[in-house]
Amino acid sequence: MATFHPREWRYARREFLQRGAAGAFALSSMGTLLAACGGGGNGEFKPPELLLARPDNPVTHPLFDDNPLIASGLEPESGTLRIYNWNGYLWPRAMKNFGKEYGVKVELTTFSTMDEAIAKISSGAVDFDVFFPTPDRMSRLVVGKLLQPLNHDYLPNLAKTVWPSVQDPFYDKGSRYTVPYTIYTTGIGYRADKVTTTPDKLSNPYDIYWDESLKGKMFLLDDGREAPVHMLFRNGITDVNTENPDHLELAKNELKSLIDAVNVKLSTDDYSHVPEGRAWVHQMWSGSAVSAPSYLPEGTGTEVLGYWFPSDGRGSIGNDTIAIPRAAKNPVLAHYFLNYLLDEKHGYDNFANYVGYQPPFVTLDPDRLVTDEIVPANLKSAVVRESDFDTGYFQLELTPEGQTLWQVAWAEFKAGG
Amino acid sequence: MTAAAATAETRRALPAARRFRDWWSNPWGKPRFLVFFTLVYLVWSIVPILIAIRFSFNEGRSRSTAQGWSFRWYTEDPDLSVLHDPDLSAALLQSLRLAALAVAITVPLGVALAIGLTRWRGRAASTSRFVSLVPLVTPEIVMGVALLLVFVHVLSFIPLGTPAQAIGHVTFSLAFVLIIVRSRLLSIGPEYEEAAQDLGASPLQALRLALLPLLTPAIVASAIIVFAISMDDFVVSAFLSSGTTTDTVPVRIYSTGRTSPTPALNALATVTLAITLVIAALAFGLWRFVRAARGQTGSAIEEFARVETDPTR
Amino acid sequence: MAKPERRLGGRRREALWAALALPGIVWLALFFVVPFYVILGVAFGTVDPTFQTPRPTWNPLDWNTQAFDFVIDGLVSRGGVFRHVFLRTLVYVAISVVLSLAIAYPVAYFVARFGGRWKGLLLLGLIAPFFISYLMRMLAWINLLQDDGWVNDVLLWIGILDAPRNWLDGRASSVILGMVYGYVPFMILPLYAFLDRIDRSLLDAARDLGASPLQAFRLVTLPLSVPAILAGCVIIALPMFGDYYTPDLLSGSPKTSLVGNQINLYIRGGQQIPVGAALVIVLMLLLAFLLAYYVFATARAQRRLSG
Repeated sequence: MATFHPREWRYARREFLQRGAAGAFALSSMGTLLAACGGGGNGEFKPPELLLARPDNPVTHPLFDDNPLIASGLEPESGTLRIYNWNGYLWPRAMKNFGKEYGVKVELTTFSTMDEAIAKISSGAVDFDVFFPTPDRMSRLVVGKLLQPLNHDYLPNLAKTVWPSVQDPFYDKGSRYTVPYTIYTTGIGYRADKVTTTPDKLSNPYDIYWDESLKGKMFLLDDGREAPVHMLFRNGITDVNTENPDHLELAKNELKSLIDAVNVKLSTDDYSHVPEGRAWVHQMWSGSAVSAPSYLPEGTGTEVLGYWFPSDGRGSIGNDTIAIPRAAKNPVLAHYFLNYLLDEKHGYDNFANYVGYQPPFVTLDPDRLVTDEIVPANLKSAVVRESDFDTGYFQLELTPEGQTLWQVAWAEFKAGG
Repeated sequence: MTAAAATAETRRALPAARRFRDWWSNPWGKPRFLVFFTLVYLVWSIVPILIAIRFSFNEGRSRSTAQGWSFRWYTEDPDLSVLHDPDLSAALLQSLRLAALAVAITVPLGVALAIGLTRWRGRAASTSRFVSLVPLVTPEIVMGVALLLVFVHVLSFIPLGTPAQAIGHVTFSLAFVLIIVRSRLLSIGPEYEEAAQDLGASPLQALRLALLPLLTPAIVASAIIVFAISMDDFVVSAFLSSGTTTDTVPVRIYSTGRTSPTPALNALATVTLAITLVIAALAFGLWRFVRAARGQTGSAIEEFARVETDPTR
Repeated sequence: MAKPERRLGGRRREALWAALALPGIVWLALFFVVPFYVILGVAFGTVDPTFQTPRPTWNPLDWNTQAFDFVIDGLVSRGGVFRHVFLRTLVYVAISVVLSLAIAYPVAYFVARFGGRWKGLLLLGLIAPFFISYLMRMLAWINLLQDDGWVNDVLLWIGILDAPRNWLDGRASSVILGMVYGYVPFMILPLYAFLDRIDRSLLDAARDLGASPLQAFRLVTLPLSVPAILAGCVIIALPMFGDYYTPDLLSGSPKTSLVGNQINLYIRGGQQIPVGAALVIVLMLLLAFLLAYYVFATARAQRRLSG
C-alpha cells in the first residue's frame, strides 16, 4: 500500500494522444466494416405516395398483390396470440377469457409511444398478431405494408355493434385494414371543489389554463399533438392538422407562457392526478374522466370531479383502432380476437371494468351509462356521442415536414423556454 | 505497557462526564464539528430509506402518513401487492434474472480480461486498457442510446428485452471488474506464478493454481459490485426494454413513481433492497472467510471499501 | 545475490495473455466501441421518409450533416433551444458537485482520520447507499417532498412555513437536492480511500513543528487531496450530465429540463432520432475533456503500480 508523495503529478500528454489516435483510427475503419454488414444503406429511395385522410377527404387504402387477405373459412390457429398495445388499455381478464374460449395462450407486450411501436414493427424484429395503431399513421402503415388487409368474413360483429359512421370511417373506407377500438375526446378535467371557476363559465374556456390560482396544480397532457391543439383552439384555430409554421409558433409561445403563468406540468396520468388532488385542472382524455372516480381517496364523493368538452361537439376527438400486422403468425386467431372485442358484451365489459375508454357501440349511450352507474351524472360530458364523430376535430396524419414542425415546436417547449 | 495502552486505561478509569469534557477541550482529539457533521450526514442518508420502508408496511394506501402495520402490500392484497400484481413481481424477477446473468458473464469475462491486459505488453494492450476504462465514465444515457441504436439497426437479430438488457449490463460492468481485479493483480505481482513455473507448472497451470486463489477476494468483491450495479441499473434497462414484461424494478419505480402509486411500490423497493443486501452480506461473509483462511488480517470492511472504489490502489 | 527479475513474458506466454484478454476485448469492441460509431452513423444518416425511422449512413463521405447542424445551431445561436438547456445542465451539475464536495469531504476526512474504533461501522453506513437503488432513494424523497409528506409537516411544525409548499412542482432546488442526495455517496468513498492513505507521519511532523490542527489541515492534507477531489468531482459530474430521471421524478416541469431530457425526448419520443444522436455526440464532445482526464489519471496510476 503505497503512500502518496506530494510531488507525483506529471502528464505524459503525448502518450495519451497517441493512444487516443490509435483508437480513433480503429473507429473510422469500422465504417467500411459496417457498410459490409448491411446495417442499413443509403441508396436512392423514392418516397411512396402517402394518402393523408381528412374528414372531407376520405381515403380508401390500396390493396397490394403481395399482401393478400387470408382465405375465408379457416380454423383459428392454436399458437400463442401476441398482442401489442398501450399499457393499461386492455382488460387482462378479457384476454384470459378469450384464451380460455379458444384454448390458446395470450401474451401482451406494451409500448409507450406510437413511434416506438412502429419502429419495432417496421424493423421486423418482432411479430405480433394484434396491434392497436392510431389513425394518424394509417397511410404509412399501409404503404409500408406493415398491416394486412382484414377479411370481414371473420368480423360479423363489426356490422352488428359499431356506429355506422365508424364502420366505414374516412381514414379507412371499407375498414380494409382496421376496426375501431375506442373513441375519446380531449377536454379539460378539473376538481370542482378546488377551482375558482370552470371552463364553461369563461368566455374562452381554454383561458382556464392561465388561471393564476392554479399555480403548481395545472397540468397539460404530455403529448406533442394534444397540448398544442388546445393552444390552437384558444386562438380560434380549428385546423388541428395545420402545417403552417406561424400556427405552430403561436402554439409554442402559448405553451411557453404557461410555464411562467402557472408553472405548468406535463403528465399522462390525468386519471389519478385529478382525483388525488395533485392536479386541480388537467387537460384530460374522456376515458380518464370515466376511470377517475375509482382513484378518489376514501370518503371523497364523485361530485368533486368535473369534465368539460364543448357542448356543440366542436372539440378534439380521436379514436384508436385494432389492426393485424402483416407478419402475424396467427392471423385467423387474430381476426377472431378482433371480432371478440367488437362483441357487444365483451367490448362493454372491457370498457366498464378496466379501460374506461368507450368503444363506439350502438348500444352505448350516455344515459344508459349513467343509469348503469358506470359514469356519474356530473361526468356525463365524458361520454362520447355518435354526433361528436361528425362535429369533432380529428388529429390526423401529417406530411413528414409537418410532423417535424410539430415535433420541433414541442421539443422547444419541453426544453423549458 | 505501551504509552497508548496506558493512556487508554487511564481514560477508561475516569467517569464518563470527565472523559467527555476532556475530549471536548482537546484540539488534537476528534473534532466535534466533524463528528456531528458525519452523524447528520448518516442520518440524512439513511433515514429517508427507513421511512420509505416503514410506509411499505402501511395498512392503508398512503405513502406519507403512517396507517398501521400490515403485509398488505407484500402478499395480502389480491390485486396490488407485490406477490399478486403481475407487473411488480415480473419486475422483481427480471431484475434478479438480469443481475444473475450479469454476474455469470461479466466476472469470468472481466477476470480473464484483467489478467490478459495486465500481463500483455504492447501497443494493442495499452490501447485496450485505455478503451476498456471509458465505459466507467460514460454517462449512462449515452450508452443507452448507443446500444438501442445498435440493437435496432445493426444487430437486429438480438431482440430487445432480456438479451439486449443483459448485454448492456455486462458491457458497463466489465470496467468495474477490470479495475478491481487489475489493481489486485498489480499488487500481487508476478512472483507466485514465477515460483509455480519454477516448480514445473505450465503458464496455464500457474495461472489456475497460483494466481486465481490469490485473486479470489477481488473476484468475490467484483461479483458483489456487479450484482449491486445490475440491480440498481436504470437507464440502460429502460432503453433496452421491450415493454412492461421486461421492465426491471428501477424502471417500474420510475414509471409508477411519478403518479400516485400504492405502498406496493415501496414494498417492491424494500424487497429488492433486502435481496441485494442478503446476497451482498453472504458474499462478503464468504470473502471474510477466505481472507481469514489465507491469514490476511485487518478490517475486512476497510479493505472492501478501498477495493471497491479506489482504482489507484 | 539478487536473482535477475524474470518477466512473465516470452512469445508463447504473450499469446496466452492475448488469448485471455481477447473475449473481453471482442465484447467491448462489439458492444461498446461499435455502438459509438453507430451513433455517428445515425446522427449523420438520413431518415426513412415513410416512417421517419433512421437510416444510418456508414461511409463518412456520404454523411448528411443536417441533424448535426440543427443541434449546433440550437447551441450556438443566441436564442438557441439547446443553448439554455446545456447552460442549465452545466449550472445544476456545478452546484450539485460543489454541494456534494462540501458534504463528502468532511465526512470522508472524519472517517479516514478519526474513525478509530468505529471505522468499520461508519464505512458500512457509507457503503450502504451503493446497494440501495438510486431510484429507490429518489422514491423516498418523493414521499417526503409530497404535499402531505414529512418535509412539509416538519417545516410547518417548526414554523418556517405557514402553508404546505409544493416541492415537486418544478423547482431547481428540489432537483439539485435530489442529485446531491443521489450522487454524494459516490464521492465519499473514493475520497475516503484516498484520505485514508495519506501518510500519518506527515501530519505528525506538522504537529511537531508547531502547526495547529487547522494549519496542518490547510497546509498538508488539503494540497495532498487535490487530485482526489478532482477525481471525485469528475466521477459524479459525468453521470450527472446524462441524468434525466431526477428532474422527471422530482419535477414534472419543462423549467428544469436537462440535456438528458432532451436526448430522451428525441430518441424515444419522436421521429427525430438523428437529432437525438447528434445531441449525444455534442454532449460527449463537451464531456471529452472530463472523460479523458479521468481515464488517463486512472491508467497512469495503475501503470505506476505496475512499475
